[in-house]
Amino acid sequence: MVDIRETSAAGGASSRRVVPRLPALVAGVMGSVASPLISFVIVLAIWSLVSALKVVPDAIFPSPWSVASAFAEMMENGVFFSDLGISVSRAATGFVIGASLGVAMGVLTGRVAVIRTVLNPFMTLLRPIPAIALVPVAIVWFGIGEGSKYFVISYTVFLTVWFNTHHGMEYIPDIYLRASQSLGASRLREFFQVVIPAAAPHIFAGIRLGVALAFLSLVAAELSGASSGIGYRLQESRQYIRTDRMFALLIELGVLGAIVDTIVHRIGKRIVHWQQS
Amino acid sequence: MSSNIAALADEGRVEIDHVSIRFTSKKGDHLALAETRLQLEPGTFTALIGPSGCGKSTLLNALAGFVEPTAGQIRIDGRPVDGPGPNVGVVFQQYALFPWFTALGNVKFALQRFGLGKTELHERAMAALAEVGLETQADKFPGQLSGGMKQRVGIARTLAYEPKVLLMDEPFGALDAQTRREMHDLLLRVWEKHKATVLFVTHDVDEALLLADHVHVLSRAPGRIIRSYDLSASRPRAISRDFPDLLDTREEILALLKPEPAEDRGDVASVS
Repeated sequence: MVDIRETSAAGGASSRRVVPRLPALVAGVMGSVASPLISFVIVLAIWSLVSALKVVPDAIFPSPWSVASAFAEMMENGVFFSDLGISVSRAATGFVIGASLGVAMGVLTGRVAVIRTVLNPFMTLLRPIPAIALVPVAIVWFGIGEGSKYFVISYTVFLTVWFNTHHGMEYIPDIYLRASQSLGASRLREFFQVVIPAAAPHIFAGIRLGVALAFLSLVAAELSGASSGIGYRLQESRQYIRTDRMFALLIELGVLGAIVDTIVHRIGKRIVHWQQS
Repeated sequence: MSSNIAALADEGRVEIDHVSIRFTSKKGDHLALAETRLQLEPGTFTALIGPSGCGKSTLLNALAGFVEPTAGQIRIDGRPVDGPGPNVGVVFQQYALFPWFTALGNVKFALQRFGLGKTELHERAMAALAEVGLETQADKFPGQLSGGMKQRVGIARTLAYEPKVLLMDEPFGALDAQTRREMHDLLLRVWEKHKATVLFVTHDVDEALLLADHVHVLSRAPGRIIRSYDLSASRPRAISRDFPDLLDTREEILALLKPEPAEDRGDVASVS
């Protein structure tokens, strides 16, 4: 493969075409699919081996096969999809509320000095409080219905998105603001065409973290005072000592989180396409 | 076109009237620019040269309205500078293109203040890109362009709105020698057409001699003008035996910029 891009550094505007290189393309696909596949196969093999040796009873450390049949069982009686649906809708609702408030708040504290001075100490104080610590308060305030779940999730998402948006808003590179001013942009145009795009990579980093936290706090919210959802089903499995179900549910959470994270990452990359490093 | 140039010919006068600039920080006061007087005539090309940290960029930032002089006044066509204004264009060393806009979008950004119609906005932006030879790259994002092309977009973006004064802060400092030469030709070509008053900050002696009508040498910090040269050699110039005056001036400036022994050598090494 001849790399034609190197040879025309300065003058060759038209020859600066990026040719997709086949080996690189194949390597990329292999890298994104094959290497996780290999690691799954290895882990699965070790797992089967350990459970086949019967060092630990199956009821405590289930084999891959009993986990798979627990999965099938939950699919059959419909619990799998109803739990998935209710959990995803809780996470999504909490996320949307938390993320929109977080972006709005971050814009305010990042760009308005008075608001920043008043509110920033709270950001520092509130951040270390874990989602699960909010559950008792949420139950008192909102009861054991959906309200308390939305509250716990949206609060957790809100803090992270706020923090990241604030950070991006506060440190807009001076050079962009100078360029914008010298090119005669109004404050309004500067805000929407310079400040927001310049902060966008940080905002998206916050949103991606927020999505992950929405699932973490979802389980915290569902572990106490729920009658459906993946977190509730985990709790229920504990009462019947169904470790096979627990494993199935944990895997479900992991796969769900990974899929959603990948989607959010892809969307972010498309919107903040200029961010290269 | 010629009437246009005639009309512009007496606009773009820059007066730097006893200006000094002092920065105050927690560590104390720091005089960035000692008292400086300088007048730039309309349509002339002036280079400021000096060791890094001598305050030449600070002076340029004051002209651009980014920094307020501590004492003295800067006037453009008689009006004091009190912030970034439409008569002054700035070309930055780090290009300062907005990476979220295409090359065309960056130029359009500069034209939006005029409230043009959609078609006219597009046409004027395309014309500005064509002037720097980038009309085929209009839809590329800055991240897809080489350094030289980025700075050509930077120049197009600034010239698109025809500022009377053009400030350039080491605009080609990050480019390789070959690209830099091409940019010199391009800059002289567009300058001859637009006839803006140019202030060009550099630490490259040859660059100053190739481009400027007037070269002012600044001392080390706190900067002040220690020597001025008027260059009358016709362009295009070369630093060669064809231009013996330039060679002599070059020797003189290099001697002026030579470090006093034992005092921050590293600083001046970048000059020679």
